[in-house]
Amino acid sequence: MVKYTFIYPSKVEVSDRMLDDLDRVIAQQGIEPTIAEHLRLAVSEAFTNAVMHGNNQDPSRLVKVGVQVEETVVTADITDQGSGGLARIRRRKPPEPLAENGRGVDLIEHYADRALFREDDDGALVVSISFERNKEEQGKIT
Amino acid sequence: MEIAVRECGSVMVLDLSGRLDLASGSALKEEVKKLFGQNRTYVHMNMAEVEFINSSGLGSLVSIMKEVRLLKGRFTLSNLASYVQEIFEITQLSHIFEVFPTEDEALASFQTVSAS
Repeated sequence: MVKYTFIYPSKVEVSDRMLDDLDRVIAQQGIEPTIAEHLRLAVSEAFTNAVMHGNNQDPSRLVKVGVQVEETVVTADITDQGSGGLARIRRRKPPEPLAENGRGVDLIEHYADRALFREDDDGALVVSISFERNKEEQGKIT
Repeated sequence: MEIAVRECGSVMVLDLSGRLDLASGSALKEEVKKLFGQNRTYVHMNMAEVEFINSSGLGSLVSIMKEVRLLKGRFTLSNLASYVQEIFEITQLSHIFEVFPTEDEALASFQTVSAS
């Protein structure tokens, strides 16, 4: 198992750096292209939510992105320093067709094999996203 | 993200490359706003080189489309990578946007509308 941890200030423009860091993890660990595509999207959505809603773009508040790569699963944990995030997610409604936001959590849930939303002891939102690796190989009868 | 603007008759074509997310989406909206300021409301975006889009990037496209509608203009997209196309379908935005397989087809559709 290999674990990476990145810490970012809550600034919109930092999202590029976060994706560059994630791309390096993907390349170093040889994560499969389809999983990599879905991982980038899901982490990006959780990261944007953490910066915009969890930490209200306060640069003194941090967003932690942890990526854990194992043989059969890749997991990313995105943690903000806000409060009330879980309630915000639970009370969300489907976006109107012409809404400019509100689609991020649905995309996370669509692409991830498992998406868990919880609050830590400080009330910060932790989004935990998992992707199973080598599903086709695992499904083969030997 | 890089944004290159060129003129094809009555249509302003924007070639997008890189990542379309919250930060670049804001820059894109500003670029399009400049075109609106010049009364250029026929807008096409060639997405062939867009390697990443998230819901914030989609939101910026929705915002542009709403502005175009208010101005009685037209907004089309083309050359979506299969991954980007899939996101449009999952979010049901493929029903909202005019998406063409190629730029040529999109630009031809502007001529058809102008001629009718």
